Amino acid sequence: MKGQATYSFKRYRKFVLPLILLIAVTEGAAIVCGATFDKLETGIVKGLSFLQFMFPPDWAAFKDMLEPAFQSITIAALGTIFGTILSVVFAVLAASNISHSWVRNTARFLIGLERSVPEIVILLLLIAAFGLGSMPGIVSLTLGCIGMLGKLLADIIEEIDPAMIESMESLGANKLQIIWFGVMPQIIPNLVSYALFRFEINIRLSVILGAIGAGGIGYELDYSFSMLQYHRAFTAMIVVMVMIFCTERLSYMLRKKFKVEGALQ
Amino acid sequence: MPSKRYKQKATIFMVSAIVILVACIYLNFNPIMIFTEFHYVRDLLGEMFMPNYQILYENTSTGISILQTLSMAFLGTLYGGLIAFVLAFLAASNTMPYKAVRIITQVFVSMLRVIPALVVVLVFVIAVGPGSFSGVLTLVIVTIGSFAKLFTEIIENVESGPGEAIFSVGASRLQVIRYSIIPQIMPSFIANLLYAFDVNMRAAIGLGIFGGGGIGFQLQMAKSVLHYKDVTALITIIIILVILVEKLSDYLRKRILGEGKLG
Repeated sequence: MKGQATYSFKRYRKFVLPLILLIAVTEGAAIVCGATFDKLETGIVKGLSFLQFMFPPDWAAFKDMLEPAFQSITIAALGTIFGTILSVVFAVLAASNISHSWVRNTARFLIGLERSVPEIVILLLLIAAFGLGSMPGIVSLTLGCIGMLGKLLADIIEEIDPAMIESMESLGANKLQIIWFGVMPQIIPNLVSYALFRFEINIRLSVILGAIGAGGIGYELDYSFSMLQYHRAFTAMIVVMVMIFCTERLSYMLRKKFKVEGALQ
Repeated sequence: MPSKRYKQKATIFMVSAIVILVACIYLNFNPIMIFTEFHYVRDLLGEMFMPNYQILYENTSTGISILQTLSMAFLGTLYGGLIAFVLAFLAASNTMPYKAVRIITQVFVSMLRVIPALVVVLVFVIAVGPGSFSGVLTLVIVTIGSFAKLFTEIIENVESGPGEAIFSVGASRLQVIRYSIIPQIMPSFIANLLYAFDVNMRAAIGLGIFGGGGIGFQLQMAKSVLHYKDVTALITIIIILVILVEKLSDYLRKRILGEGKLG
């Protein structure tokens, strides 16, 4: 490479070491996971022939899918609504300009703790306690909201102009009045936008949670797979895809309507 | 007399409250039950304590499953990210001159976005057998679905000035990509990959339950044989793992993007 200044080794040296490290880690990870390209090759062939198996969808089962799909959507919606309400409470408690520092730190700790437990783990525990049903599903989605929305909203509340809060205080407003008339109107656009975004996530999660035991379309999907009724599973899959697509479009449109600066795109 | 606006608000409130109530009745969901039936939770908590940390050194499978989950998230992010990177160039209007290719890529990516992860993992478990490899493949698909579109937007939003400048002095299309677009998008690409690693880490735990291997599988096994003390230990391990990965990913992203640019 001598003579060609643009392609000299010196210029690329700082990439070489990280690259070697990356390849080494990848190799190690591949060994741990048992991931090989041979396996991938045979797997793809097998997977494609299996997909042929699933085709065509069983349209007769379509009407059996509508009610579970509606259940899933209701579970996701209720989880989002309850979760949003609770996360507003947590966000107010976790905002340093409204709460005492020890309340704030406790609330932040709880939010952080919740964030690090996946919804599926919460669901497994709730099922162990309460048994199968839509209730553990709704509760785990509700709790899942707190971890995400609580943190985002608390950060937004902390950015509110302190002059506003002080001027309300000087007029004799108490804490609740400040929160209701001062803080809430300011966070509503962001709140709506985040809640819609979370609803999208919850729709996807409700399918997965359903397969574990929260009922709804996820259960139909998993059940059809384990009963080897692949045509039926394909129908359920189409219903889920339509569900996800429609919520994504709907939430995108609504969020555009509530256009807010700095909100999630 | 209450004002008109107050009446309107009250009506909206009442209607939404009734809708929520009907939905709760429809699903047989009674929030109060959480408190009246709380003794179940208490019983469970009683069984869950104290966590049995002996599984960590008595049984090597726990350690391996932790490594497996991390490796699943890593490989899924790496390969998914690389494929998404290539697809993004095929879908962006300023790097791909042929409209047909752009549309095909965009349709393909949106297909991947709407296919439920549950179906992907179930199909891969059949195709390559249960284990962490099927989890890796699922994460690859999920990562492509969620990040290809984002990368496309990033590429389309680069400044066109530098590219046009070198194009005008005779650079080829590939050279424009190499010397103008890639340097501009690289920081946000790497930052997004780190974020994807964080997300995939959580997803990898969930996938384990459906036969994807890793610590999620261990958790599911411990739960189904009612070893709740092991469950508690595994959950604390998961929490620590997720927090560590999140902190690491945040730290590296801050270093790459600079303080205050975290989106």
